[in-house]
Formats: sequence, structure tokens, C-alpha cells
Amino acid sequence: MNLRLTFTIIITKIMISILRVFKSGGTTLPGKIARKLYPDVVKVIARDFKTIMVTGTNGKTTTTRIIGEILKVNGMNYITNKSGANLFGGIITTFIDSVDIHGKGKAPIALIEIDEAAFNVVSDYIEPDVLVVTNFFRDQLDRYGELYSTLNSVRSGIKKSGKTMLVLNADDSLCASLGKDTDKQVTNYGFDTNAYQSKEKQVNSDAMFCIYCKTKYDYESHVYGHLGNFACSSCGYRRPDTGVTCVKVEELNTSYSNILFSVNSGQNQDESTMLQAKINLPGLYNIYNALAAAACGSVLGLPAANLVEALENFECGFGRMETISTHGKNIKVILVKNPTGFNQVLSFLLTEEKNTQIAFLINDKLADGTDISWLWDVDFEKLENAQKTIDNFYVSGIRAEDMAVRLKYAGIYSSKIHIIKNYEELLAKGLSNTEAGHSFYILPTYTAMLDMRKLLKKKYGLKEFWK
Amino acid sequence: MYELNICHLYPDLLNLYGDRGNIIALKRRLQWRGIGVTVSDISMGDEFNAENYDIIFLGGGQDYEQEIIQDDVLNQKGNEIKNAIANDKVVLAICGGYQLLGNYYKTWDGKEIEFLKALNLWTIGGKDRMIGNFCFECDFLTSEEYDGKIVGFENHSGRTYLGQNVKPLGKIVKGYGNNGEDGLEGATYKNVFCSYSHGSLLPKNPAFTDHLITLALKQKYKDFVSLQKLNDEFEDLAHNTMVQRIFG
Repeated sequence: MNLRLTFTIIITKIMISILRVFKSGGTTLPGKIARKLYPDVVKVIARDFKTIMVTGTNGKTTTTRIIGEILKVNGMNYITNKSGANLFGGIITTFIDSVDIHGKGKAPIALIEIDEAAFNVVSDYIEPDVLVVTNFFRDQLDRYGELYSTLNSVRSGIKKSGKTMLVLNADDSLCASLGKDTDKQVTNYGFDTNAYQSKEKQVNSDAMFCIYCKTKYDYESHVYGHLGNFACSSCGYRRPDTGVTCVKVEELNTSYSNILFSVNSGQNQDESTMLQAKINLPGLYNIYNALAAAACGSVLGLPAANLVEALENFECGFGRMETISTHGKNIKVILVKNPTGFNQVLSFLLTEEKNTQIAFLINDKLADGTDISWLWDVDFEKLENAQKTIDNFYVSGIRAEDMAVRLKYAGIYSSKIHIIKNYEELLAKGLSNTEAGHSFYILPTYTAMLDMRKLLKKKYGLKEFWK
Repeated sequence: MYELNICHLYPDLLNLYGDRGNIIALKRRLQWRGIGVTVSDISMGDEFNAENYDIIFLGGGQDYEQEIIQDDVLNQKGNEIKNAIANDKVVLAICGGYQLLGNYYKTWDGKEIEFLKALNLWTIGGKDRMIGNFCFECDFLTSEEYDGKIVGFENHSGRTYLGQNVKPLGKIVKGYGNNGEDGLEGATYKNVFCSYSHGSLLPKNPAFTDHLITLALKQKYKDFVSLQKLNDEFEDLAHNTMVQRIFG
């Protein structure tokens, strides 16, 4: 019996309980303290789990949740860090919370969402059996340094993880590079060339030039951002072949997508199964999240039919498009945190036909990114011609005034832009201007979402976020 | 009718931290006053003739992207950029673009990268990044109506030092500025303005934007006197909120 382990686990569990009583979530601090008490605590505990990790800049939470749904459909028990507590402290808390005082787990699988900058450190302690990487877009650069440093930090974490099987986004030249020249088993997912053709032009692409030889990529097809069927004419680096492939996007609207996708059964490339699935989330980015999760399921050897069932069952995650209905009106909350994600959200708001109210809640705390300059990389200009369908633009949060300036310079009439700092007032105003059957969209950054959620919980009884 | 031609150099590569907001700000403030404006994107391999433009903008990039343009900027466009400066064109350069106009960049491990030598200044790479909201004061903007303060966000590891003939853009009130040592921020020389202020410098500092526009119009049109005032309610609010926050 490892006394130090038991002692650390007991202390940490007490802290978790106390913090929960005080409703402060208690998702990160206990783990941090546990690590001080016993630096190897998570190494010892995690050994007994089969661990799936999900990292990347966008879509981690949704992808993690879809994988969770896949495990559930297959009758597999797992532990997970649901609340987006994805730094080292939060991950340790999750493990300790789900073992007994001897460190033995209540489930065989750990499904862990992990911050892309934290992975390299965590990989010193936990070796994932499967690592799913969603993508690399510019995200909160002031915290992590530049995009390429983030990518290389993930790369170095992978090198340390001997047996890890990789699940990578083939359409992202940065992400796919993690699978080049590696001794690991790699399964790629992506869009087939004919699956979807983007109508949007590429503005401020994050990776236009070959990561190996700096030649401009040629794109046979383009999905969004820098994602697409890329090839370098100079050194030959190109989009790798995919094991899980979106063959056709059959329908794409503000609530869901219908796709046709194929899954290769690993050993034999010719044996692929063609499947049709409804993904209960809007936007192309969620198709990628679904493909990543399906690829993870396929790597785990789970039956293809169950993947489809899981995709169709899936419900929205924490702040990633939650809907609350009240008096026949909808409040829809969608987290925004970087230009690519934000652009996708705006594209889908433009498909609303009339009487839309939008609120932007912009904070600049550490978890949001202290630099809000990325707002200038978001293509708000596409809202300029939609002012007939969008009645009001509300701005709130610590940087409400900056957001007002951004909208004004995007060509939105100043008379349509309202600065309302108080969330309660904002909610009342937005709802009173929303007609029955229509939606009030709230787009917050991370910490603004936590605050807004508190208010929504009080008013409409949302679930506690750590459950 | 007055009209200005703006050149955005390497918009697909030097586009870090919302630098394109500066182009958006220039364009809108011209349009709102009924002044004609065209923006030309000029990148790798494109022909660049400085005479065609009244305002030239260079943003910042990641190290990777700065390496990609190195040859093009030194050997293809360098002379034209220098001509533009000599002919009193208005140039705005941010962060990496600012460093690029200088003599060289010496990395923290001693490697020296040759730059344009258009302005007598140089940059030494540091290990620690200088990051955060910051504020500096510009004499040339100070008037009875305006205190000359500029607010922005800096994020750089390079430390820049100014040589002879180059003046600082402003004095640091809060933050690091050029090097975190001498209390100076940015550089000016003729009609060139350089700064470490990302986060889009111009939208929230309309007085500075209008200063650049005025210079460019005066340079192009002998009869131009002054700009018509705009309603800057939101811009001033954003500016003042940050000033208040910085000074507590």
C-alpha cells in the first residue's frame, strides 16, 4: 500500500468536496495541490486506465463529448474532465475524483480533453493510448507564443509517448505533419475533394506556405480556414490519405448536418464501409469534430454502426451552442474564442431569416486571452449586408467598447450597436426584442460564458457545469 | 474629389494579431468623409511601385512567415520601400514590419539577420516576451483637445534601439515599448511611423489615424487644408476605458 498516494488522494477529495459545497466548481485547484503533495500522483493513478486524449486549438470539448457518446453507445464506462478543466491541475483533479483511496479506478477508460499547450508537460506523466488532434488555428497567442511553437510542443509530447496511436486531421497541413515520419500508428480523417466546395475566400489563412519548404500550397479543394486538400509542388508534402472520410455533405443548416462518410477497417484499405449520419450540431467545424471522434472509435475497433448512432444521439456541450427555450423564444449560447471559430459561427448566423438579436460578450481575462486583437481578424464585414435580418447588436463584457468599435468599422450602423454592461439587463433587453419563435444569440468568450451561464442557471436552471 | 491609394504589403503573411484592423480603420475613416480610397494587396512576387501609393502599411508576422518574405523584401521590394520613404510617403509599420525597416535583427543566440536599413535602428532578440496592454504619449498628437495618449497591446521579444536621425514615436506611460529600458516606444523618421502596438493600433486611436490621413492628403494635394470631424463616440469610449484601466 502506497501511504503517500492514499494521503494525497484523501486530502484532494476533501478539497474537491469543500469547493463543490461553495459552488465554485473545484475543478483545478485540488489537482494543483495534489501535485505539490505528490508530484507523481497522476502517473501512478493513470497507469491503470486506457487513456484517450483530445487536443488541438478548436473543437476539443465537442470532440471529447462525441467520443464519450461513442463509448457510451458501446457500453463502455469512462471517466472524463467534462467542464473544460483541461490544464494539468484539472486533469489531476479528474483522475483523483474518480478513484478510490487506494488509487483504483471505477472505470477502465479515461477520456481527457487536454489543452494544446499543456500536453507536452502532461505527457511526462501520462502516456495516452490514443491521441486525437483536432486542428491548429491561431488561438490566444499571447498565452502560448506562436502557432508553430504550439505545434512543436505537441510534437515533442508525442515523441515521448511510445505506444500512442495518433488520430489526425489530414486536411490541416499543420496537424497532419504530426503523422509524417513518425513510428506511431496514424489514422487520418478529413473531407474528400468532392465532399464540399467552400464559397468563402481564404482570408488570413494560418498556414498558406509549406511547413517543410515554405512553398505556397496548391489546394485541390478548400473547406474553411486553411483546411482542405493541400499539396506542395516543391517538396511533395501533401494531404495524407484518410481512414475516416467525409464523402459528401448532403445538408448543412443552422441546427444539424447530414453527411455521407466512409470508414476503412484498418488493415485493408479496400474494405471501407459507407455510412450516412446526421450530426446534431451546425457548421462544418462540427463535421470535423464528428469525423475526429469517429476516427477515434474506429481506432478503438468499435463497430461502424455504433458510430452513427452516437453521432445522432449527441447533445450539445458546455457553452458550445446550448439552447434554452423560454416563452416560445430561444436563447442560444455559442462560445467564441478565435477568428476561425468565430467566422464559422457568423456564417451560420447569416442563415437565419429574420428578427435576429445577437450579443457579443468579450472578456480579456487569462482564459479568454488577454489580447483581443484577434477580433480584427474575424470577418464581421460579412454582417454588413445582413442588417435587414439582424435587428440589434448588443456588446458586453470587459471589452464591450472595443467590440462596439469593431462592429462600427465592419460597417454596422452605430444606431444598431448597444453597449450594455450588465448581463441581467442585456438578457432582458435581448429577449424583449425577440419575437416568439425566434432566437436571441449570445456569443461569449470563455470567462464571459461562465458568468452568463451563472445567470442563466439562476433564471432557467441550467445544469451544474461539473456534472 | 480627393482620393488615397493604400498599399498593404504582404497581407497574407504579415498579419499577426489583427494588424489588418489598421487598414480597415484607414479605409473607413476615408469613406465616411467621402474621400476615395483603394487598397492594394501586394505580396510575394508581386510588382511593387511605390509611386502608385500614398500610404504603405507593413504588419507583423511570426518568425516562420518573416523568413518566407526575407528574400522578397530585401531583394525585390527593398529599393522601392526606400524610395517611398525618401519621397515622404506615409508609411506605417508594426512590430515585425517595424523591425524589418531597421538595420538588422540579432537573435538571442547571436545570429545576425540582415534587414532593410531604411531606418537607422536595430533589434536584439530576447528570451522573455514583453506582453500586455500599454500606453504611450506622442508629442505630435498633443493639442488643446487631445492629450496625445495612444493605447494598444504589445507582444514582442525583440528589443529595438534607435540610432541617429530616428526619433521615438512616443514616451512610454505604462508598459515596455521598444526595449523595456529607455522608456521609449516606436520610431518616426520623415513620414514613417513605427510601433510595437498590435491589437490594431488605429481603430482605437482615431487622432493618430487622422494624423496619418492628413499627412498623406497634404502630401498629395496642395489645396488640402484639414479633415472634417467625425462622431468618434465608440472609439473614444474604447480608448478612454483602456486609459482608465491602465491608470486604475
